[in-house]
Amino acid sequence: MLFLTADIGGEVHQTSHEELTDLVSAVEVLAAADGWADDLTFKVTLVVDEIGQNAVDYAYGNGVGDVEVFVTSCAETLEIEIVDSGEPFDPLTEAPAPDLTSGIEDRPIGGLGVHLTKSLMEDVTYRRESGKNRLKAVTSKLG
Amino acid sequence: MPIDTERDNGTVVARPSGRIDSSNSREFQSELEAALTDSDTALVLSFENVDYISSAGMRVVLLTARGLQRRRAKIALCSMNESIRAVFKISGFDKIVPIHESTAEAVTALGA
Repeated sequence: MLFLTADIGGEVHQTSHEELTDLVSAVEVLAAADGWADDLTFKVTLVVDEIGQNAVDYAYGNGVGDVEVFVTSCAETLEIEIVDSGEPFDPLTEAPAPDLTSGIEDRPIGGLGVHLTKSLMEDVTYRRESGKNRLKAVTSKLG
Repeated sequence: MPIDTERDNGTVVARPSGRIDSSNSREFQSELEAALTDSDTALVLSFENVDYISSAGMRVVLLTARGLQRRRAKIALCSMNESIRAVFKISGFDKIVPIHESTAEAVTALGA
């Protein structure tokens, strides 16, 4: 189960979703409500999609567990936090580095989600706290 | 996900539309495979109607480019919005597949 909690202008919305696609749709609803520019909506959607997908795929091995997504809209910044209770895993240092230079034939695809997140967001941090992995990504809303 | 296709003298121009992510990337791959025949020598993949792509969709672009290269066919991408263009650049895909501003430019480049 995925949960999205969003704080926009002091108003907190929480929704739960069975599927990541629903979560992405929910992000788009927030984007419209909060008046985000198209490129900001794109970035936030991509981070939720990529990091959320990684957490859903890997956090619990073959088991099940919750992945929570928090989106906080502040005056000038936007914060996304993705939280799971799986084994300790810091994707910023432990995920395999992407291959960005090999030719078509040899290029593996993987590690792009974390790489895109680091590149598109201004500040990305990981912490392990109270048995949970918390990945936080912050970007300016002003572009 | 329906993909609009046009064929001119062995060059296929394919225009997927909407969002390409993990929820529909398999469908994107099969539609793209269905759009191409073995006698096609070049593919222009136009993003003019695509709003969003994630790494799952980019994987399909890479696999398609690989398949075409193996049979000595060519591929070019074009007409991306700024966000999609940025994602391709950050991923280093712009170094392995040419990206053009417009369909006409891509068709001309492949024909040369």
